Amino acid sequence: MPQIFTASADTRLRALALLLVPFLLVCVLSLGGFMESTYGTARGWVVNQPVPFSHEHHVGGLGIDCRYCHSSVETGPQAGLPATEVCMTCHSQLWTGAPMLAPVRRSLAEGKPLQWQRVALLPDYVYFNHSIHIDRGVACVTCHGRVDRMPLLSAAHGFEMSWCLDCHRNPAPHLRPPDQVTRMDWSDWDNDRERQRAFSRQAMAAHRIEPEKLDDCSLCHR
Amino acid sequence: MSDAAIPANRRYGSVSDEIVDIPLSYPHRRGWWMAFAIALLLFALFLVSVAVLFLRGVGVWGNNIPVNWGLAISNYIWFLGIGHAGTLISALLLLLSAHWRNSLNRFAEAMTLFAVVCAGLYPILHLGRPWLFYWMAPYPNTMNVWPQFKSPLSWDFFAVFTYLTVSVLFWYIGIIPDLASARDRARKRRYQVFYGLLALGWRGSARHWARWRQSYLLVAAIAVPLVVSVHSEISLLFAAGPIPGWNTTVFPPYFVLGAAFSGFAIVSMIAVALRSALGLGDLVTERHLDLLGKLTLATGLMTAYGYAAEVFDALYSGGHYEIHTMMDRFVGADAWSYWGAVIANFLPLQLLWWRRVRVNPLALFIIGLSVAVGMWLERYMLLVTSLYRDYLVSSWQDYHASFWEWALFAGMIGVFLVPFLLFVRFLPVISASEIKETLFEKRQAGHA
Amino acid sequence: MAGHGFSTNFPPQLGAPGGRQFWRSLDELAGTEEFHAFLAAEFPSLMPLANGIERRSLLRAMAASLTLAGLTGCKWDTPETALPYVRAPEFTVPGQPKYYATAVSLSGYALPVVAKTHVGRPVKLEGNTDHPASGGASDVFLQASLLGLYDPDRSQAPRHLGRPATWQAFDADMARRMAEFDATRGAGLRLLTGAVTSPTLLRQIAAMAQRWPEFRWHVSEPLDDGNRRAAAQLAFGARLDRHLHLERADTVICLDDDILGPGPHQARNARCWSQRRKAYRDGDGACRLFVAEPTPTLTGAKAERRLVVSTGRIAELIVALERMIGGETGDIARLDADERQWLERAAAAIHSRPTNSLVTIGANHPPPVQALALRLNSKLKSTAVQFTAPIAASAEDGAVSLVQLAGDMAAGDVQTLLMLDANPFYAAPGELGWSEAADKVPLLVHAGDHYDESAAHSHWHVPLAHELEAWSDARAVDGTASIVQPVVRPLYHGRAAQELLARLMGDYRDSRAIVQATWRAVWRDDFDARWTQALTRGFIEASAPAAVSATPLDDPLGMTPPPADGLTVVIQPDLTIWDGRFANNAWLQELPKPFGKITWGNVIGVSPQLAATRAIRNGDELVLEADGRQVAGPAWIMPGQEANTLTLTLGYGRQRGGHVAQNLGYDAYAFQGVAHQHVIAVTGLQATGRKLKVATTQMHQAIDGYDFVREVDDPRAAASQSPNTARASLYPAKIYDSPSWGMSIDLDACIGCNACVVACTAENNVPVVGKELVAQGREMHWLRVDQYYEGDPVAPRLHFQPVPCMHCEQAPCEMGCPVNAAVHSEDGLNLQVYNRCIGTRTCSSYCPYKVRRFNWFEYTGDDPESLRAMRNPDVTVRSRGVMEKCTYCLQRISAARIAAKREDRPIGDGEIVTACQQACPTQAIVFGDVIDPDSAVSSRKAEPRNYALLEEANTRPRTTYLAKIRPEGDGE
Repeated sequence: MPQIFTASADTRLRALALLLVPFLLVCVLSLGGFMESTYGTARGWVVNQPVPFSHEHHVGGLGIDCRYCHSSVETGPQAGLPATEVCMTCHSQLWTGAPMLAPVRRSLAEGKPLQWQRVALLPDYVYFNHSIHIDRGVACVTCHGRVDRMPLLSAAHGFEMSWCLDCHRNPAPHLRPPDQVTRMDWSDWDNDRERQRAFSRQAMAAHRIEPEKLDDCSLCHR
Repeated sequence: MSDAAIPANRRYGSVSDEIVDIPLSYPHRRGWWMAFAIALLLFALFLVSVAVLFLRGVGVWGNNIPVNWGLAISNYIWFLGIGHAGTLISALLLLLSAHWRNSLNRFAEAMTLFAVVCAGLYPILHLGRPWLFYWMAPYPNTMNVWPQFKSPLSWDFFAVFTYLTVSVLFWYIGIIPDLASARDRARKRRYQVFYGLLALGWRGSARHWARWRQSYLLVAAIAVPLVVSVHSEISLLFAAGPIPGWNTTVFPPYFVLGAAFSGFAIVSMIAVALRSALGLGDLVTERHLDLLGKLTLATGLMTAYGYAAEVFDALYSGGHYEIHTMMDRFVGADAWSYWGAVIANFLPLQLLWWRRVRVNPLALFIIGLSVAVGMWLERYMLLVTSLYRDYLVSSWQDYHASFWEWALFAGMIGVFLVPFLLFVRFLPVISASEIKETLFEKRQAGHA
Repeated sequence: MAGHGFSTNFPPQLGAPGGRQFWRSLDELAGTEEFHAFLAAEFPSLMPLANGIERRSLLRAMAASLTLAGLTGCKWDTPETALPYVRAPEFTVPGQPKYYATAVSLSGYALPVVAKTHVGRPVKLEGNTDHPASGGASDVFLQASLLGLYDPDRSQAPRHLGRPATWQAFDADMARRMAEFDATRGAGLRLLTGAVTSPTLLRQIAAMAQRWPEFRWHVSEPLDDGNRRAAAQLAFGARLDRHLHLERADTVICLDDDILGPGPHQARNARCWSQRRKAYRDGDGACRLFVAEPTPTLTGAKAERRLVVSTGRIAELIVALERMIGGETGDIARLDADERQWLERAAAAIHSRPTNSLVTIGANHPPPVQALALRLNSKLKSTAVQFTAPIAASAEDGAVSLVQLAGDMAAGDVQTLLMLDANPFYAAPGELGWSEAADKVPLLVHAGDHYDESAAHSHWHVPLAHELEAWSDARAVDGTASIVQPVVRPLYHGRAAQELLARLMGDYRDSRAIVQATWRAVWRDDFDARWTQALTRGFIEASAPAAVSATPLDDPLGMTPPPADGLTVVIQPDLTIWDGRFANNAWLQELPKPFGKITWGNVIGVSPQLAATRAIRNGDELVLEADGRQVAGPAWIMPGQEANTLTLTLGYGRQRGGHVAQNLGYDAYAFQGVAHQHVIAVTGLQATGRKLKVATTQMHQAIDGYDFVREVDDPRAAASQSPNTARASLYPAKIYDSPSWGMSIDLDACIGCNACVVACTAENNVPVVGKELVAQGREMHWLRVDQYYEGDPVAPRLHFQPVPCMHCEQAPCEMGCPVNAAVHSEDGLNLQVYNRCIGTRTCSSYCPYKVRRFNWFEYTGDDPESLRAMRNPDVTVRSRGVMEKCTYCLQRISAARIAAKREDRPIGDGEIVTACQQACPTQAIVFGDVIDPDSAVSSRKAEPRNYALLEEANTRPRTTYLAKIRPEGDGE
């Protein structure tokens, strides 16, 4: 009766067993990698919007302040999206016939709101309050990125919990003068570490910010 | 202990013939198929009840506030308890080199394995959001949140998984030589391939035996402390809670002994069943039954001591609520579970004082069954009677297991039976190699 | 899962739940409209009036995607569309609530409220702290009125002969008929309303009477003060309303009068009583309450001496009391020992300060008996009671108005009956034979908020707008008028009552104009100023009628002989759904009745003695018979109920109350007689042998041998041997800095009214689970009010104990949770993180107080649109398989904390008020910073009466209690 297993069978078995280890390792790593990737976090992906609104043009080009459209960012939990009439304050004068703006005009005419798709998306069980962050001097760019360089808006960060916690556990480096929060380019600060440190030291003291209290679950989850 | 379990003059070959030929040419196929059909039905019931559970939520069970846990958790403890005898018998007795265990360890370990699988399923099924069970495992995640290591539940997680892994290893290492001999005796090619792959190229060379011995003993050494630690830990699931009837230090030993008790009871049942079903009377001899009976009796009496200690605890504590819970167990709405446990566990048990009863397969089987039931009642009693009347009179509420809880329990028995029957059908149920080894050693001793 | 996430060619894979749509270049903008259309189709929950099934499937899909989100924490959950305003309303900050002062009503009286609204949706009602009557106190009905607004069963459109019709058709029909009535001077035109306090409505009714001299207005209020006015008539010769001033009453003798019980007066009375009680605790005067009653009431529970007597004995008692006070010692022989002793103590108490004493008798008793009490009060020169002209106007035929109407109907004198917010087909006494009489009426018109029994019997039914949807006005119990302003755009096509009547008169203005007309006539020139002021403050200053001096007549009172002893039925308002108008309010249905903690139904209260002699057990079906009328319901043994008294409650047995009200309990109205409405002699009582399901949240209520509710002999006595001693613990004690939150609940002030429970339900989106699940012990209330009986069941002491989460310092739940879902915060809160919870339920198993609640099923996913609109956006809506519990109103803490931080100041004491605290009419609950020694809560916890529930469990609760004060000479 012929042998079923050749002499080398054992070796192959061992080799297989050995290969299994790196294989599993790769699987795990790639899963983690996926979560970190833009695919996992939706970073940098452009969302389909009723109107191809360009922050690059309005912020970067025309230099309109964030608060002109996101008017409740300093006073309320939500930054707020501009009402159609806010768009029309300018666009009743400019580009009045532009086909691209047809949905806006229709919205005003029919009194039906524009249906924007959220880009900065948080789960419903997360309660984020813009006003307090603005008040403490967390610049818009910190979470929303350089919108002044986004022809079409996309998320700059994945908004994972760990990412929020990084800042909550060490807020100092992210503090800026509250009167300049809407500033987009902070390269001068980033280069001038000393000045930045000095300021954040003051800010932390002035507002009595206690990082050890900033990672309570109840701060965001109610 | 020296023993005359198996006549020393027995031929080595005959041992292998008897054991290894069972899977190769199974004796009573009809009986097996009938048993397997029933097992499959139960397994189907398991699938259905799990489907219902996942679609509609834990609400399909009878649980409520205050009785948050019901059959799910008491069954979890029961199954895990059963799982303890296997390792205890094989590993501990192996280290003590009590050779008579060679006729029992294989199927005892198999039983352990499948019982632990059943047990492990329950904590996952009982979750409100079972699909998130992996949050109990420590793994780096985007939430920066880790398990809460103070919680007995996260210890459960580790305990059960460790125990499962070690049991698998121990069982598999032990079976390799017999798989090899099955491979060599197999006539059909598919059997040869099947056993050949499982045998991992075992050739019985001296080095193989040396390595095998090393690893086998090593894993045994790891397994033995687990027997104690795992169920001690499970008991903390209760003992760590400030609930009257739970919060006592007697629980760890109490649970471990109870576990061994129920385990030995089940092992004796299986031993008797296999013995008669596969005609293994000459390998699983009266002496084995006798020893099993003794073990059951011993652990049973220790468990009985646990009962006494518990009552003493309550009285000695002088705690109003402790005493109330104790009295409620005696005369309360669920007194049936307490007295049921006492009677089923300890009354028939006393018959085991007599050798004639111990060596009588039927008697042993029935007593084992009674103990299995008794220990189930005990787990139920410990869980329910503490929760349904705890501190505030206002939150007292009765608990009645729902149809789906019972269905899941029945199904879970299917989950146990299906793989076990497959094991009986396709694998050597007794460790031939070890028995032969013992014979060899005995003869050496004889010549010397 | 990423697969469809990146589909660049939509719509085919569009909107698969769990995916978001992406495109990479402008040219992919093509088909945007299509996309929106598809979105609409795929996500009905974003569209109005989506039907249930679609929504359910969507939600299941969402749950699935959440699963994956849990795995990777990544962003592929369902697309979220953001809809900005087209024209933003002024001063609206999304996420920032706005508050409006207005009022809801109960039996005609205004309950002043401040409505909290989010982007135009009211999400919570609170008492109006400025209001002179209530001072911010609220009750269960005020709190639950919010759900009434969003009730999906509300009538939404007119119906003619049961078929949907239009308002135009209705207006046309009415116009024609009213024109006919002009010819007949309104002969046969009748209007039936509930009690009316609205000046506008009264103005309109007067106008109708002017235009149609033959027109008659009838009032039917199942639980009105008709008897009280009749009594005043006998005592003083004038129909007057009495106003209790319990804050001045050192001694109150309640003869079967539930002054602290539910009803329009509860908030005011409870607040005033608690003020007196507090003064007493602070050493100023006394606060003694003597109650004689046949069945336990909230008032009886707070009594210093509670005498259990049959209703028939009340007349005897008041006579005897009067004579005792008069110093008579002659034969008052017909009293038994208990009665005599009780009366002697009461008389003695009155003697100590007669002018600060008060004697009251329940409205169910014959006017002559009540008149005795009124006269006695004026004899005592009691300052604790005042009289004014009736606040709620009554029809000229007064208390018997409905009987008159029924008579005229039977006689065929009624051509057209307008039923305005009244439901006589359900609420008329059974003996009256209302529906037979109604058959003789050619045209029945019903206006109400539900398509109820009367609507079903009417030719026309038209929907009324909810009070929170339209303009109106009403008076509170003290007579102070409020302008009722809408706080939300009407959800359906209802009209205000005022609009309806105006249109009958050919006046087509809207409710605002109509109400303004009323007050313009009053205020004339400074209308604008007064109007704005009235709206901002929520009431009209000095609009209450002045107190009149009531001089007792001394002509004899025709005393009616008390009903013969024997089985007597006492019919009471239901403690949670009142007279039935709240029968479709799920919050109130699930709210446990203070005694017996019964939900979703009414029971027949039976005394322990009767239960013993007749071998009646809880849940046995009993059939009562009186004058050929029958009623059948489940028995419930009420410790402290008079031996031969049976109690029924109104409001159940609705045929057409809506989905919630359907098939619950028995109808006690059907059992009512015309002469004897509330006290009826029973001629037959037998058990059918059937068992009926009664869903109670508390199966055991005997507290003997336990010290959950502690009592002390005087306000200074210590309640705990070891006050606040922390026992040994293996864990190091954590040192907290301010703020660190805690709560104190004063059991001496708590009257067990349940307002806190409903407030909590409303504030925290607590789901309703229904009768079956409550019976299984799965109710979801974060805050429960435990009720206990102590001592002899024949005359037990009654205790209430609100139990929220204790926020233990050594919390067993936190130790038990394997995934860190139950954790402690830096400010001392015991947190439950829903999104982290996997539902092991260990926390609840370990909780000695069992205050945690579990979502056994998906309770919130299938809520209809309207109920979703009601939710508090600041509180997470919990899904299936998650544990939840009291959070100390975390959302309110967060709001205050953020506000304080933005102003760089500490949070002030009293700045955070929990929902239960805000609702409590007796201010029994105080919340605040336990580190700050000057905070209200700290001073409370410093009191000797302070104790922790289950101290021996060493959980170190942050919620502690103040012990009750045992009446003098009652020490054990």
